[in-house]
Amino acid sequence: MSEQEPLLRVEHLCQYFKAGNFVTKAVDDVSFDIKKGEVFGLVGESGCGKTTTGRSIIKLYNITSGDVYFKGVRICAGTQKLREELKDCKDPAKQAELREKISAAKNDQKNCDKMYSQKLQEETRAKYEPLLAKASGEERTKLQAEYKDAMRKAKNTRLVTQIQMIFQDPIASLDPRMTVRETISEGLVIQGERDKKVIDEKVYEMLELVGLVREHASRYPHEFSGGQRQRIGVARSIIMNPELIIADEPVSALDVSVQAQVINLLNDLREKFGLTILFIAHDLSVVKYFSDRIGVMYFGKMVELADSDELFAHPLHPYTRSLLSAIPLPDPIYEKARKRITYNPLAEHDYSVDKPSFRQVRPGHFVQCNEAEYQRIMAELSGK
Amino acid sequence: MENKLQVRDLRISFRTSNGKVQAVRGINFDLARGETLAIVGESGSGKSVTSRAILGILAGNAIVESGEIIYDGQDLLKISEEDFHKIRGDKIAMIFQDPMSSLNPIVRIGRQLTEAMLLKGKIRQRESRKNFNTYLSNLSNAMAKSATDAAGAARAPESCKKFDKFEFKHIELESAYNAAHEAAQEAAEDIDKLVFELEKNSVGKDAADRLGDIIRQSRESVNQYVVPVEKKDQIQSLTGKVKGDFRRKDYKAVVEDLRAIRAILGDAIGKPVPNFFRMGYYLTYSDKPLPDMPLDELNAYLRKYLDDNFMLDFIRDAERGLKYSAGESRKAMEEAIDALKKALPVYAREKLDKKECHDTLKRLNEAVGRTIDKLAITKDSLSYTFPSSMKSEIDNYFHGVKANVKVMRKYNREKRKYDAIVAKGKKPGYELADPAVTDLELIKGNIAHLINRLCDHYSQVLGDAGQRDYDAETVGVIDYLKESASGVVAKVTRQIAKHRAIKLMEEVGIAEPHKRYRQYPFEFSGGMRQRIVIAIALAANPDILICDEPTTALDVTIQSQILELINELKEERKLSVIFITHDLGVVANMADRVAVMYAGKIVEYGTSEDIFYHSAHPYTWALMSSMPDLDTNEKLNAIPGTPPNMIYPPKGDAFAARNQYAMAIDFERQPPMFKISDTHYAATWLLHPDAPKVDPPKAVTDRIARMNARRQSKHE
Repeated sequence: MSEQEPLLRVEHLCQYFKAGNFVTKAVDDVSFDIKKGEVFGLVGESGCGKTTTGRSIIKLYNITSGDVYFKGVRICAGTQKLREELKDCKDPAKQAELREKISAAKNDQKNCDKMYSQKLQEETRAKYEPLLAKASGEERTKLQAEYKDAMRKAKNTRLVTQIQMIFQDPIASLDPRMTVRETISEGLVIQGERDKKVIDEKVYEMLELVGLVREHASRYPHEFSGGQRQRIGVARSIIMNPELIIADEPVSALDVSVQAQVINLLNDLREKFGLTILFIAHDLSVVKYFSDRIGVMYFGKMVELADSDELFAHPLHPYTRSLLSAIPLPDPIYEKARKRITYNPLAEHDYSVDKPSFRQVRPGHFVQCNEAEYQRIMAELSGK
Repeated sequence: MENKLQVRDLRISFRTSNGKVQAVRGINFDLARGETLAIVGESGSGKSVTSRAILGILAGNAIVESGEIIYDGQDLLKISEEDFHKIRGDKIAMIFQDPMSSLNPIVRIGRQLTEAMLLKGKIRQRESRKNFNTYLSNLSNAMAKSATDAAGAARAPESCKKFDKFEFKHIELESAYNAAHEAAQEAAEDIDKLVFELEKNSVGKDAADRLGDIIRQSRESVNQYVVPVEKKDQIQSLTGKVKGDFRRKDYKAVVEDLRAIRAILGDAIGKPVPNFFRMGYYLTYSDKPLPDMPLDELNAYLRKYLDDNFMLDFIRDAERGLKYSAGESRKAMEEAIDALKKALPVYAREKLDKKECHDTLKRLNEAVGRTIDKLAITKDSLSYTFPSSMKSEIDNYFHGVKANVKVMRKYNREKRKYDAIVAKGKKPGYELADPAVTDLELIKGNIAHLINRLCDHYSQVLGDAGQRDYDAETVGVIDYLKESASGVVAKVTRQIAKHRAIKLMEEVGIAEPHKRYRQYPFEFSGGMRQRIVIAIALAANPDILICDEPTTALDVTIQSQILELINELKEERKLSVIFITHDLGVVANMADRVAVMYAGKIVEYGTSEDIFYHSAHPYTWALMSSMPDLDTNEKLNAIPGTPPNMIYPPKGDAFAARNQYAMAIDFERQPPMFKISDTHYAATWLLHPDAPKVDPPKAVTDRIARMNARRQSKHE
């Protein structure tokens, strides 16, 4: 992976849900990228599509259109936009090109994991075959067993397992009938690990990493407090050595004191493993504290994207301004004087003629705006 | 300030299979009218239990060990379930933490919203009728008794009857006016919104519905004092035309028509209001029709008419009646003090006698009952709750006497076993628990405290008697009568309830309320469900609103919308709010006063300025430094460890084990409430004069410094 290539690149992601004749555009044309080792915060009101974005990336839904690249490999691809284009297209040369694109997208969407595991299998084969040829006798049988094991693992490995998710509700996301050991090790088992000892060792390591003790492994989720349950969720997600963690509101269901514990834990893990985190939350103070860059979503669209300090210092989109003005601070005198800015998209923008697009106004600072607004923002910025 | 709710020494435990969990361990607070009290603490600190006790919905295994919750002259811990039905949801409403489990999944939202309104509407009507009648007859009695001559005594019932009759005429006129005025106002607002959208060319799917509403409302607004009858035809023709235009999709014409209607309504809304109270009298008792003159002249004329013929006499009589009644009550109080003082030794004996106790209580109850001034509008809560409190204490005593014998017998049996093991030279594998005997001396002390408190209260009232302002009180009485009469006429039909529900849904920020009204709870997202729950709580127009983490699951914009909504309603209706949360930002926004709870006790109590700028308890510091704000960069200070197990509450300060400032005494003895200022109290040994001086952690001081800096920069 080259320096410039981001870990995750989301391009024009659309996720529509059909209910009868009515189409809900949960995520509509969202693009962003996440560099290795950074924390990307995603904020917005409930129902604006933050969670859907996260879930689409991890392939819990089949996306409608757009592409998601992970480590340079296309893992999700939607075809609806291309198909619509094909319908309107009259030029045969272009038609053929579009058809090819569609089939490539379908292929990637379906087979990216298979291709990845094939690649792994080839690598293993290349590693073991010369060894096997050289070895003989007892050593050979041992190697053969090892080879079989490695091949099985390679066959079962998926690219998507390098993206893991931490869910919002620590109570609902743990199976009440599985012990903590079973919950945490489930991923390993699915991947083909059969050695009990290895599994146990790995589970204990993870438990200690998240601040629990070995004895907890044989307990059931209901025996834990909320904060401990969320730690189990974290342990479950990091056992697969993921490169990217999608944390879907990991602290919003927790008490303040426990919130601090979990945030500190995530921070430690991030430093230790160089984890990349997509942090979805609605508590802006926490997002500000935790993230390097922040994307603001409104009704399925990304309206503003910038470094977190930049975003809080110079919010440009009216929705971001309204969002920032609503943060409650533990300061009674300030709070009682605070005026909330309301955001009414109908009154703020006139998009009847000129449709808005996502434009860069400063290095690293993007805003959803149309030409007139773009001019105004640029004038404002140069005026400062 | 008038206290709406008083909580005194409340202790609640839960019986579980592992033992008794002490959830609330002796908390005290007052809630004034129009005030917000925030209760802050971790989960399991007893905040929700306290609020549930106020609402009388504790779980079945809860035991109320002691305490009083006094509301409107009643002790909520001792009244029957039947009486609670009148209070719960009507006077005291609650917004629950989990919206899904507090909504009925198989009933449409609309029905759930209007249910309380329809039910309580009937009850309220009945109650206010009863209130009005009893109060008026009490007043008439007092007026008759206090009269100096026979003519005055004869006049009293007559004038009360007259008041009754024209008061209802007044309410009738006024409610017709209010309905029309409200309709006009709403129609105007809706027109503004619709015109705005039509001009932007973004007509929603529900535009037809909304237009229908506008037409209905503008037709309803025709009333003599709002949209005059002469303009009725104009409104009729315009609304008819707008319908046709809309059907033809001729939006330009629609906008024009709507503007014309808006102009008429705008005139009507701004019109001055006649005084219906006076008009009611004139229309009832004068044979002549209303004189035709400008409104302020008319008001003055009506006033003179009313004063000359009726009101001045009535006020004079009423004031005399009030004075008489208050005097009677004072006489009764002096007697009651004697009786109470005499009864004290009966309850201080070594061993109480059951019959004697109950007989004395009966006599006392009569004496105390006589002291109640039937014409006082604010109820003297101590006199009202005295009988029930006394009875429950006495019952506890005699129940305890019986139970103690049993407990001791069992304890002795186990003690013998234990001693036998020890005598054999073995080590018993368990520890002998202390016998759970009821403390009879404590109960006797409580009884004496109740009696003494009432005596003190009476002598205080007697002392203040000279300063009472009877003029103001008479005005208050007449206002009170008017208010209860208005409750009688305010009838809630299904139509009105639906209308109000939709308005409420709009107020709490639910889009397309007409469509949403007919949906089921599972069709809503989490935030929307929470809004529905809030709307339901507000539907019955309560006195006290308890919010149990209402915004924890919501995002910031909606959170601040809902907080603003609650604040607005609080201002408007003089609501008292108990706000339970763990988000300190929200507390800063909402609270007038803050109580920080830990392990079933209030550890710090003060105004929100006290708590946020001068906090004194280590637990408050820990809470404040464990939460990031917009300027936090350093590592957060999480509170180490977990809250104590409340089956075995620690001997000393419950927070000691997690407290970096803990001293030796913290593990030994529980700290009392130290007074820092008149409004600020904290329970920590650090405030003891002998304690070493410590500074709050750096994170807290830094934050306070930042807050000050921000405020100063704003000033400049």
